[in-house]
Amino acid sequence: MEKNKTLGRLFTSRVWRSVFRHGLPISNRARAESVFYNFFLHVHPVKVRKRSLKITYTWALGGLTAGLFIILTLTGALLMLYYRPSVSEAYADMKDLQFVVSSGLFLRNMHRWSAHAMVAVAFLHMLRVFYTGSYKPPKEFNWVVGVILLVLTILLSYTGYLLPWDQLAFWGISVGTNMARAVPFGIGDKMSYLLLGGNIVGENALVRFYVLHCFILPIATMVLMGVHFWRVRKDGGV
Amino acid sequence: MKNQRKIFAIVAIIFLVILAIAPFKGFFPEWKKYQNSYNDLIATLPQKVRPTEIGIKQIWVQSLNRVDRCTTCHLGIKEPALKNAPQPFRTHPLMHHDIEDMGCTSCHDGQGAATEFKEAHGQSEFWDQPVLPAKFMEASCGKCHKDQEVREAPLLSLGRKLIAEYNCAGCHKIEGYSKRWVPPLDGVGSKVNGGWLINWLKNPTAYWPHARMPNFNMPDEDANNIADFLKTFTTLSDGSSLPAIPASVLNPADAQKAKMLELGATRFGEARCISCHSVNGKGGYVATDLGKVSSKVSIEWLYNYIKSPKHVMSNVEMPRFRFSDEDLAAVVLYMKNEFVDYDMVQPPDHTPDPEAYQKGLTAFKKYNCSGCHELGTMNRAEEMAPDLSFVGSKRMYEIDFGQSKIDRSLPEYIQTKLMTPHAFSATAKMPKFGFTEQEAQAITVALLANRNESIPNKYVRRALPRGVFSPQGEFGKLVDDLACLACHKMQGSGRLVATDLSLEASQAQPDWIMNYFKVPYSLRPILTERMPNLSLSESDRKILVDYMQVNFIADSLNRTVPINDTLALHGRSLYFDRYGCQSCHQIEGKGGYVGPPLDKLSSRLKAGWVYYWLKNPQVFKPGTIEPNNNLSDADAEAITAFLLKQKKE
Repeated sequence: MEKNKTLGRLFTSRVWRSVFRHGLPISNRARAESVFYNFFLHVHPVKVRKRSLKITYTWALGGLTAGLFIILTLTGALLMLYYRPSVSEAYADMKDLQFVVSSGLFLRNMHRWSAHAMVAVAFLHMLRVFYTGSYKPPKEFNWVVGVILLVLTILLSYTGYLLPWDQLAFWGISVGTNMARAVPFGIGDKMSYLLLGGNIVGENALVRFYVLHCFILPIATMVLMGVHFWRVRKDGGV
Repeated sequence: MKNQRKIFAIVAIIFLVILAIAPFKGFFPEWKKYQNSYNDLIATLPQKVRPTEIGIKQIWVQSLNRVDRCTTCHLGIKEPALKNAPQPFRTHPLMHHDIEDMGCTSCHDGQGAATEFKEAHGQSEFWDQPVLPAKFMEASCGKCHKDQEVREAPLLSLGRKLIAEYNCAGCHKIEGYSKRWVPPLDGVGSKVNGGWLINWLKNPTAYWPHARMPNFNMPDEDANNIADFLKTFTTLSDGSSLPAIPASVLNPADAQKAKMLELGATRFGEARCISCHSVNGKGGYVATDLGKVSSKVSIEWLYNYIKSPKHVMSNVEMPRFRFSDEDLAAVVLYMKNEFVDYDMVQPPDHTPDPEAYQKGLTAFKKYNCSGCHELGTMNRAEEMAPDLSFVGSKRMYEIDFGQSKIDRSLPEYIQTKLMTPHAFSATAKMPKFGFTEQEAQAITVALLANRNESIPNKYVRRALPRGVFSPQGEFGKLVDDLACLACHKMQGSGRLVATDLSLEASQAQPDWIMNYFKVPYSLRPILTERMPNLSLSESDRKILVDYMQVNFIADSLNRTVPINDTLALHGRSLYFDRYGCQSCHQIEGKGGYVGPPLDKLSSRLKAGWVYYWLKNPQVFKPGTIEPNNNLSDADAEAITAFLLKQKKE
């Protein structure tokens, strides 16, 4: 009895009411309102088929991809505290992360292996969707969004490749942007120039890749992920 | 369902444990163990040493762009009490630089940023420059000290000397070195004997152990073809042929011969040939060995060469002796008779290939002979060998170790390559120079100093760029003709076998110099006499002395010293009693033999020179053993007066 009284005071408090504008879902109206005004309940599907909850149906691959993205965002944010995208400092900062930053090596390794895993898992997710025929109408738009997300994942991985500024990074990006140059009608050269901010892999390229890796691409990915999840849930997925 | 929860629980715990390892590892790093054992160690010492605070230590040198954390574990570097402590705590031996100013890795290499043993010492896949082994340590001195001679780094200096001496710059590009003079081959066809040439090509050290020409491991065919090819070059560089020589040298009458040989031996000795040349290993080191020369060169060539060295071989550093025709014939005959190689093995006869010229030329180019020797218009290597300007920064992946079993490191690679050029590839073009292990080590050290590192100017030490002293006019002609600079230094140019003449006129009196040219003698009784009698004419001697009086003189050394009996008497007591000069120098018939005798000094030296020399001998002759006695002005004047008061000759 005492307990109910305390809870009752909480539910009627002004703070609670500002977050949940409706009362407890005890009436049909309140139930409808609670779904309508709550983001998390709102993205929830109206109904979920039992077989789509079986782990062997999805292998949780989409969720794993999203989980890895969260790990990458968190570790990436912490790495940004120590890393400076400049030709003279970048490699030295990697070394500092390795040798003097507390758990720095752990952070870097988490980021690196999660990045590898995300590419692999996103790819497996696409395969699963393909083999279960989940790309078929009416879900064809979400398949397209998924394809774009896969491309963004790979681009995130590729832009991150340059940041350690070691030989592997330098030559990896040199080869990659030279491949882009092979696009005909002069588009390739323009593209490579835009990407590198010059004709060779140098300071400008490093800053551009850094901004792409830490700001532009993650924002784009997050927006598209929102659309993707919304659609998945509306179509009866988990 | 129940099972799934159990699995979930177990997996969650495993993940938690794995996550906990990371901070755990961070909390117990390798270096902390070293710091703790350092603190334990100093507690056992009798001396009081401050314990270290636990934590990473580093030296940041901004201008060299280095962050070195070596001192995290190497804690006793500046602590003399730890002289015999085990590593990593031992005191640094003699340190030439302030560690705060230079860091550690600027000399030692290795990965300064690292805080783990293996990573720090560079034994990791991701670091190209592991810690330099002690025996190549001096290479780091050479990164900043660019002068030819670095006093504190004898191995580096030796290496740099050898690189110049063996003319590495003939085939390789090396910063700071240019090609040196090597006998040009124009006219070689009328100079050397064919059999000798083949022997020489196949193994130069068989003829002369100190030959600088390397062994190309040449097959017989190539040696024969190159020899036949070279034998076709009979004219001198100006297109003329060797002039004919008098019959008295070619076929002397028996009666005359004995007399001529005797005269030749005398003149050969008087000319002091062995000041520069050696005879079967004994003598000077400036020029080639003469012990077997008559089995090498033709008598026509020898006669013309001694008569006018620079005409026969351009730019050679040999003085033109003013021999009379009779003396010259005698010297040549004496050499012809005396310096025979009785052990010479004649190479087997070969019938010259009809295409010997073409094949010889191909081989001549193949072995890069023109990298060192000039022949006609050919004066540079046909195909340059690898550029060595930045050889010290070579990355491991750039090195091909082939099948060899040596340690995979750059210093070992270079040293092995120098000693056995074919160690890594049977088809390598580099010839074998026959370096000893120490020589190869020295050259390796010198080469490792050539790094592709940008070092701020304030750290770099290089010899001041000095113009080459090339005197003009009559004096210049004589200096060139007499090859004075082969043994003497003048204004920074020349080789220092004998004395530096840059201040000669401040030092010696003109009359004495005039007489010295006529009868050269050694100033020190225990030294061998080396200055040749050049048989100069009166007018030539006057040109030399006059030029010196005007140019080789420093006004700051001009000082008059009052020479009177009282002062000389005071000087005498200083000489004998206070400074004990007689322990090295002879005067009044008594004294030591280390320094030159001083009783005839008054006819040789100028007062100013004696005075300033006494005040600080090392200024004029660095490394002289005469001590700097810190004489007062009055003492120096008194001793000068005493010495100059000695009776003249």
